Amino acid sequence: MKKVLLVDDSLIVARQLQKILDESGEFSVCAHAKNGLEAIKLNQEHNPDIICMDMNMPVMDGLTALRTIVSLDTEVKVVMATSLSGVGDKFMEAMKLGARNVMSKPFEAETVLNILRQL
Amino acid sequence: MAVKFFGQFLVEKGLVSREQLLAALDLQKATNLKFGEMALKMGLLTEDQIIRVHNAQHSDDQRFGDIAVRIGLLTEAQVQEVLGRQQDTYIYLGAALVAVAALDEESLAAHLEAFKLDQEPYVVETVEIPAGVSHPQVWEAAADLTYKMLTRLANLPYRKEQCTIVTQVEPNDIIARMELSGTLQATYLFSASSGVRAAIARTMLREEVDNSPEELLDDAVMEFVNVVCGNLAAKVAQFGQKIQLAPPEAIHPGNEPLPVPVGRIGLQFPIHVVNGEEVALVLFVEP
Repeated sequence: MKKVLLVDDSLIVARQLQKILDESGEFSVCAHAKNGLEAIKLNQEHNPDIICMDMNMPVMDGLTALRTIVSLDTEVKVVMATSLSGVGDKFMEAMKLGARNVMSKPFEAETVLNILRQL
Repeated sequence: MAVKFFGQFLVEKGLVSREQLLAALDLQKATNLKFGEMALKMGLLTEDQIIRVHNAQHSDDQRFGDIAVRIGLLTEAQVQEVLGRQQDTYIYLGAALVAVAALDEESLAAHLEAFKLDQEPYVVETVEIPAGVSHPQVWEAAADLTYKMLTRLANLPYRKEQCTIVTQVEPNDIIARMELSGTLQATYLFSASSGVRAAIARTMLREEVDNSPEELLDDAVMEFVNVVCGNLAAKVAQFGQKIQLAPPEAIHPGNEPLPVPVGRIGLQFPIHVVNGEEVALVLFVEP
């Protein structure tokens, strides 16, 4: 089962994603970070296969954390999650920085799982 | 389901890879020259003259071609010539994906049709905005997306009422707000009674939320605002506006109404939902 690190400052979004992943039986959540800085630390501690990370967070935003994470860890696959994915510039910035995909909010369980299965 | 652009739709569905999309976008960037770049390529302007026009644009928000004519660098006929060449050589994303062999013509047509269907729910329906308000198209989209997300994220049947201008926002159990900046400035406020707050949390989590902490329930309303405004930013980018979003905030106003700030117009979109619950969308916008 693939290990997933969730990164989102919103309690309800993290819980929503956790539920989708738990119910799939294909992914398990190994940790939850509330900002980009915590994500960098928890990635080193838990060595997840996948990181699902929000873009807009306090302390350190998702794109800044993405840049650091992919420079330190070439194995982990990062998927960004945002309500701004339909803004082409934001989507492309994430992809150019090394995100494997971008999930749109509001989430649809099947779309989330399909994106993670493709990794 | 959300407001998307075609490239995102294709990658999300696994129809093209991240690398293929990036290659197609690089091709678009190299082909779809900006006005100044095209004028340079056509030998109508020098690099120094382009810098002069850009400098003039700092104090004048006219288009590049209009400024170039005003300061005597191009004639009207030359501007039209450049615009014509830009139009003739423009490559759309779909064509660029075919050019980099990520798709063939047949699958492109099928995927465009599927994309159109995917985005059909997000075609903006008419919402009347009072006369004299700037950017009415943006606020129409904001109201329409709020109605759509109320169904999608709260599963609540509703009846909408006509937009009115207000001087204050009536108190409610929670008001979640988000500041919008960029090519326009505004505040988006979503006012909800506790039953609506619980309905949003229940729908998002697909479970009962009776014993859930207040923080989680407030988070649900803030996430609602985040989703509406994020999708609004995507929608208005399609008509040339750029919106940046601040993080959402939750306000518990108690019994005090919230005044509309000086210099702003308060647009209220009352929304009636079942069981006496109260919801309203309010926008503080520039005149």
